[in-house]
Amino acid sequence: KEGNQRVIKRSEIDNQIMEILLESDVSLDSADLITEKLKERMGKLKRRVDFYSVEDELKNVIKEIISENQNRFDILNPGKKPYIILFLGINGTGKTTTIAKLAYYLKNNGKKVVISASDTFRAGAIEQISILGKNIGVEVIKHDFKSDPASVAFDAIEHARARSLDYVLIDSAGRMQTNKNLLDEMKKIKRVSKPDLTLLVLDAMIGQDVIEQANTFAREINFDGIILTKLDTDAKGGAVISVSTEIKKPILFVGTGQNMDDIMPFDPDWYINKIFSS
Amino acid sequence: MVLDSLSDSLKGIIRKISGSSYIDKDTIKEVSKEIQRALLKADVNVKLVLRLTKTLEDRAMNEKPPAGMTDQDYIIKIIYDELLKILGQNVNFELRPQTIMLVGLYGNGKTTTAGKLARFFIKKGFSTALIAADVHRPGAYEQLYQIAKEVNAQFYGEKDEKNALKIVKNGLNATDAKIKIIDTSGRDSLDEDLIKEVREIKESVKPDNVLFVLDATMGQQAGPQAKTLNDAVSISGVIITKMDGTGKGGGALSAVAEINSPVYFIGTGEHMDDIEIFNPKKFLSRLLGMGDIDALMEAV
Ligand SMILES: Nc1nc2c(ncn2[C@@H]2O[C@H](COP(=O)(O)OP(=O)(O)OP(=O)(O)O)[C@@H](O)[C@H]2O)c(=O)[nH]1
Ligand SMILES: Nc1nc2c(ncn2[C@@H]2O[C@H](COP(=O)(O)OP(=O)(O)OP(=O)(O)O)[C@@H](O)[C@H]2O)c(=O)[nH]1
Ligand SMILES: [Mg+2]
Ligand SMILES: [Mg+2]
Repeated sequence: KEGNQRVIKRSEIDNQIMEILLESDVSLDSADLITEKLKERMGKLKRRVDFYSVEDELKNVIKEIISENQNRFDILNPGKKPYIILFLGINGTGKTTTIAKLAYYLKNNGKKVVISASDTFRAGAIEQISILGKNIGVEVIKHDFKSDPASVAFDAIEHARARSLDYVLIDSAGRMQTNKNLLDEMKKIKRVSKPDLTLLVLDAMIGQDVIEQANTFAREINFDGIILTKLDTDAKGGAVISVSTEIKKPILFVGTGQNMDDIMPFDPDWYINKIFSS
Repeated sequence: MVLDSLSDSLKGIIRKISGSSYIDKDTIKEVSKEIQRALLKADVNVKLVLRLTKTLEDRAMNEKPPAGMTDQDYIIKIIYDELLKILGQNVNFELRPQTIMLVGLYGNGKTTTAGKLARFFIKKGFSTALIAADVHRPGAYEQLYQIAKEVNAQFYGEKDEKNALKIVKNGLNATDAKIKIIDTSGRDSLDEDLIKEVREIKESVKPDNVLFVLDATMGQQAGPQAKTLNDAVSISGVIITKMDGTGKGGGALSAVAEINSPVYFIGTGEHMDDIEIFNPKKFLSRLLGMGDIDALMEAV
């Protein structure tokens, strides 16, 4: 973006906007839709326009789309005890780390939390969440490697009830949305734990596959909202826009690093700034 | 008929242009636009897509299809060829004693792939050791330890040591295994400390192979991230994981275009046997949403 006044041809707007969106990993369909909306908004324009006014309008369009799906849900006052949150996602997106961060966040806000180590499958998963729990001073309920993840969750919920804790956070093994057995296992975890909130954890580096993943999980398991991790990287996290446009679920938190305080409630303005920073 | 196996969107374009015996400039532009969309949907880097379709247009305008091939088929063949040029032909990973270091982004599958590779080499009769140089992620040591046990590999790690380089040096000294595989922490281009850490390991121990592990769901960042890591540690090969999902792997293709290294393996699941030798043609048919693309390409 050179200079203060960047005048472009009207006919170039489409291409330029598409490029910005696609390079941010916004899905192709969402990018089409946003470009259409933007053109509608800009109405009849002169043959040459100032690119910055187009960009400003684009920011408005994106903000609207994102905000439509954001609800005012206050995680610190969920109105039920224990409040049970289940985490879901494909392999390696950041579920376990996010759970520890969220537990830490809740704890720092005076809440009592227990974590269910329901990834009993991946090597080192129980150790990982146990170490994290110890570091943040939150108890982790665990069974043996390869044991039934649903019964770990059941025990964690019992534990929370008996001690009148505020939250139960249930970890789960990473699962591809193409793996029927693992989807069935997730259904069982959900049936047994009856979560108040199910969150899909997505990696900000994800590309066009986000829609396929989110749709399949929505259909097979259903979820209420999204956490996008790894936004401390160069990734723009266009998934936020894609899921807002096509899946219509809110983004609750974002992960911004590997440390325990690298989590924050999702803020559309912060996010839009990130996309447009070069 | 070859076109039966193409993806719906590509089929759509082809149908549009079928019937016209002569493909003119406008038609080529239109087809090029559709191919652009197909590539973008597969996560191929935006700039690379623009470059590829520019080449496509130029070649389609200036070249005549070989005898017996329709213009339509030839356009598809051109783009396929251009993509195959990026991936190169099958290169087999050398089966000889060596030190391999795995590098890549957070959670892309390095540690799991270390185990898979160990099993692969052990099956071929090589003694293999896994060295735990991820000193950052909680539980990384335990994860690799358990994996080593599962695949019967030797294991070297130092639980409370925070200096990754020291562990790697000690580990390499401690083992007489023919194959030594170093697992490192996840890192990205913005984390200068972690980039420095891995560069120091690389410079100090000079592994025979530095393999970049990246997952098939990755989008536009694959290329730029590969470039930064390549600048730091000179990547010698690529492994694409999570090919059992629905990610098309265009990110991985873009990374390869950026760093010019062969892809050796793909990961197709979480189990230690879920690893396959990379096959560029198979990969491309999947990326383009085509079934049996070989039939078309062999027709020439
Ligand atoms: N930079 C950065 N790294 C993160 C963030 N969240 C998670 N990670 C890293 O991503 C990697 C994977 O995180 P995990 O929490 O183990 O992911 P997971 O989804 O539980 O993985 P599986 O259980 O194996 O499916 C780890 O190296 C984490 O440190 C984040 O917000 N920023
Ligand atoms: N479905 C599937 N999962 C895989 C594949 N390869 C690795 N995984 C899973 O992806 C997740 C992350 O794998 P890890 O090996 O821990 O990744 P990593 O790169 O070592 O992660 P960090 O050390 O945290 O950066 C785990 O749940 C693995 O089981 C694959 O090919 N397919
Ligand atoms: Mg986990
Ligand atoms: Mg690892």
